Amino acid sequence: MKMNLKIWRQKNANDKGHFFNYQAENVSEDMSFLEMLDVVNQDLVKQGEEAIEFDHDCREGICGACSMVINGNAHGPERSTTTCQLHMRSFKDGDTITIEPFRAKAFPVIKDLKVDRTGLEKVIEAGGYISVNTGNAPDAHSIIIPKEDADLAFVAAACIGCGACVAACQNSSAMLFTSAKISHMAHLPQGQAERQRRVLSMVQKMDELGFGNCTNTGACEMACPKDISLENIALMNRDFMKASLKHR
Amino acid sequence: MALNSNIPDGPIEKKWENHKFKMKLVNPANRRKHTVIVVGTGLAGGAAAASMGEMGYKVKNFCIQDSARRAHSIAAQGGINAAKNYPNDGDSVYRLFYDTVKGGDFRSREANVYRLAENSNLIIDHCVAQGVPFAREYGGLLTNRSFGGAQVSRTFYARGQTGQQLLLGAYSALMRQVNAGTVEMFSRHEMLDLIIVNGRARGIITRDLISGEVQKHLADVVVLCTGGYGNVYYLSTNAMNSNVTAAWRCHRKGAYFANPCFTQIHPTCIPVSGDHQSKLTLMSESLRNDGRVWVPKEKGDKRAPRDIPESERDYYLERIYPSFGNLVPRDVASRQAKFRVDEGRGVGKTGIAVYLDFADAIKRQGEDKISEKYGNLFQMYEKITGENPYKTPMRIYPAVHYTMGGLWVDYNLMSNVEGLFVGGEANFSDHGANRLGASALMQGLSDGYFILPYTVGNYIGSTDLDKVSEDMPEVNEAYQQSKERLDRLIGMKGTKTVDEFHKELGHIMWENVGMSRNKAGLENAISRIPELRKKFYQDVKLTGSANYVNSELEKAGRVADFLELGELMARDALNREESCGGHFREEHQTPENEAKRDDDNFCYVAAWEYGEKGHVLHKEDLSFENVKLATRSYK
Amino acid sequence: MQILNSSIGRKYLMGLAGAGWTLFVAGHMAGNLFIFAGPEAFNRYGHAIVSNKPLLFGTEIFLVTCLLIHVGLGLRLTLENKKAKPAKYAKKAVNAKKPSFASQTMAYHGTIILFFIIYHLITFKWGPHYDVTYGTETMRDLHRLVVEVFSEPAYVAGYVFCLVLLGIHLSHGASSVFQTIGCNHPRYTPVIKKLGWIYALVVVVGFISQPIYVFFNLRG
Repeated sequence: MKMNLKIWRQKNANDKGHFFNYQAENVSEDMSFLEMLDVVNQDLVKQGEEAIEFDHDCREGICGACSMVINGNAHGPERSTTTCQLHMRSFKDGDTITIEPFRAKAFPVIKDLKVDRTGLEKVIEAGGYISVNTGNAPDAHSIIIPKEDADLAFVAAACIGCGACVAACQNSSAMLFTSAKISHMAHLPQGQAERQRRVLSMVQKMDELGFGNCTNTGACEMACPKDISLENIALMNRDFMKASLKHR
Repeated sequence: MALNSNIPDGPIEKKWENHKFKMKLVNPANRRKHTVIVVGTGLAGGAAAASMGEMGYKVKNFCIQDSARRAHSIAAQGGINAAKNYPNDGDSVYRLFYDTVKGGDFRSREANVYRLAENSNLIIDHCVAQGVPFAREYGGLLTNRSFGGAQVSRTFYARGQTGQQLLLGAYSALMRQVNAGTVEMFSRHEMLDLIIVNGRARGIITRDLISGEVQKHLADVVVLCTGGYGNVYYLSTNAMNSNVTAAWRCHRKGAYFANPCFTQIHPTCIPVSGDHQSKLTLMSESLRNDGRVWVPKEKGDKRAPRDIPESERDYYLERIYPSFGNLVPRDVASRQAKFRVDEGRGVGKTGIAVYLDFADAIKRQGEDKISEKYGNLFQMYEKITGENPYKTPMRIYPAVHYTMGGLWVDYNLMSNVEGLFVGGEANFSDHGANRLGASALMQGLSDGYFILPYTVGNYIGSTDLDKVSEDMPEVNEAYQQSKERLDRLIGMKGTKTVDEFHKELGHIMWENVGMSRNKAGLENAISRIPELRKKFYQDVKLTGSANYVNSELEKAGRVADFLELGELMARDALNREESCGGHFREEHQTPENEAKRDDDNFCYVAAWEYGEKGHVLHKEDLSFENVKLATRSYK
Repeated sequence: MQILNSSIGRKYLMGLAGAGWTLFVAGHMAGNLFIFAGPEAFNRYGHAIVSNKPLLFGTEIFLVTCLLIHVGLGLRLTLENKKAKPAKYAKKAVNAKKPSFASQTMAYHGTIILFFIIYHLITFKWGPHYDVTYGTETMRDLHRLVVEVFSEPAYVAGYVFCLVLLGIHLSHGASSVFQTIGCNHPRYTPVIKKLGWIYALVVVVGFISQPIYVFFNLRG
């Protein structure tokens, strides 16, 4: 297959950035999307040009490093799929593919398709944990957790922190990301002690960092490669109101 | 330098306890005066940094990813072992210890492994307290599954994402410490060199992967938890950015590299589909609980798998190893798959694969149950191959997955360079010549949560640490060398890309230092790799500058180190005239093609010292006082 | 005050204020249907409402408060959101990843609806005051005003257009408020969403039936 690519190139956060056209020849449908970009990059380097920068690491859909928007879709057109798991069989010969970085004020572009997602880190820092020092734990079986609760916690904890929710949201809201962590811990008995403090400080941090507000469009849920549900946001809203009313 | 493993005296059950009591402590008020550098944020690094932060040390934690949460531990799928004996099937700390020593084909250090087994239970307790959502029974208690190389169910898991959940646990603990101000994070920073002052590790040189700035970081202790070196094969299940550079730079500064030829080839990976392939994807070993491995009995049988009747299939693992069946250890399963493919009975378009079939399990347990256990793995398989494994058997083939070798460390996890500690996959200590499934997560967390915080403290408490400053000649020299190396690489304007060299190296390694090795092949590798290295420094092509983001430059530095490591791996494999675990020398096998160990001559750790004129071998003899040296049998 | 200082708290209030109006429009719509019962019934209904002063003022204060909250917070929310997303993507997402039209455009139809409400008040509440007497009771002849206004084709068209926008606004808002206040459940949410649509449809059809009926049947 042959692909026409329109790729966003930007030197750094202050540069304006533009689309450039490239062609990828001999694309096999078994190639992953990133392998197709690898081929383009090899050609660019051979021609003496700088390679297109993009974040990627595990290429198994779990590390959450990849951060591009393909034809207007965070992580490409397939649901429940990260960019690295997207394969060229999802495209047709001769297609034009537009590739951009995740766009949000809170995610400044570092170079080309690489963005700075430190904001998400700061949100976790504000309270995305259960405060337990190493060596303090009781026996694992002293905490009994109904399977249903453990499963709900797991489903929320499956978030890979890629930031596609922020990228897809027209408001660049980080609610899905933040709520996934809050919900993970809210479903577990271990998480109860800090439940209120956690939601208050994480939401406050999220607001400070310039992420937008939630308008319930659901774009985040649709873009999420791990199917994190809007239910988590509802839980966060509920917990937040409860906590702010009780707060002394 | 003589290798002293510093194994404490006493019976094996008492060694760690006695050792902990004898350790020097650091007064809580004094801890914040000591800086500890931790490189890497995976299970070992993240856990060590968080735990030492909790204790009050001033920790500086580095990683190359944009976030600590993306360290490659995240990709571990199947589970984590612990000797809890919750299923009441006769497990114990001693049995886990025994299985691990045996699984490692008697090339690991007994005392270390025993401590690992002891810590395994603490890990589960701690992770549950952190909120790791392990799989549970309806009654609310934890559930277990079985894994290769064991006849008890001792593996705790969180669907097929156990590594992710454990890492997020460690990451949350780490972020808590960042918030508390005890840990300072340096993400997107790559370690380029180790700073040694007066024979002690006192800091590192790093490059900020965004600004390109080369920086000096000083400390009292350096802890390296930088993972394995499987990417020397180009294609492996490791993440694209996994590399040996931090460990190799320490090796060049004097740290011994132990057992580099011990690499694990994982039996259940998605086969290579073409030249464009950039990495391989693992399908968790847990699949072998329910999947049956087979090939057609007939050579070159091109029928669709469902058209091949039961009587014309060879379930070869069940046939050869009736007692362990599909759950034989990884090295055995991989080798048998290779034999089948070499015989011409491989399947799929390329003929380089075997089937992993779930038809029976689906018939017995129903599609829902299978989907609950392995749903995400099946989905991943379908995304990559475009085939539905509920309907047609998976095609799998072995791929490089883990490296048991690594920097040599003593019982305290300190390398032969004082003040340089090494944890997780980056060290060599616990898995011998073959790692059992679900043991890597256990080792990473054991090192990080429950060993390094003690032993690092002991070192600080018992050592007179002089003041160091950034303008010392040793510091400047390391800084200058790193800069010069970068300048040299960025100045290369040859004709071939870094990836082309990497691929060629990978090819040499896979062909000659792969699943089975022989003298001629190893010698071939030893002669070809230095040539390739020479060509690399003449003909590699880089673009862009060293003063901003440049992933090609990052890769070049890493491949340059792989080009040195590959040769050492071949030399180590050539030196080890025996077969053990993942190291299979064709010259040393039984008539049934099983590995034949030589305990009289090779019951030692091969620790290699770097020298400009070539590597020097140091041996640490292994003694087995508790587990009797025996031929490993899974029949 | 933590509530007002947070994105979630503000959205909560905004949603509740919107819910107030959502309930009101249904009542208003139901009252409008008296048009089908003839001029006297229609006027008597209107009279009953305006002569109950506590109810009238209470409702007015409630609605004005809700409107101010909804519009004020909505404006702030929209401005903040624009700032958070400085650049748009070059292409639109595929259907599987595209949110509903209504949810993406709330600020736009919301603004038009605001102007419609003001114009609507000018037309009817503060519009020409005709009298009519039934027996001994003299009251405002709202029926006559309605017939006059809805005899204008342009006015009817404009009214219908704005009401359709209200329907779109409600199709998202009526169910979305449940999410905002924290009710989301895999079993109930799909039902709530459907009911939200039905609610919006009933309200719009009910409102539109009045001018259509007037235009085609009562036009002088």
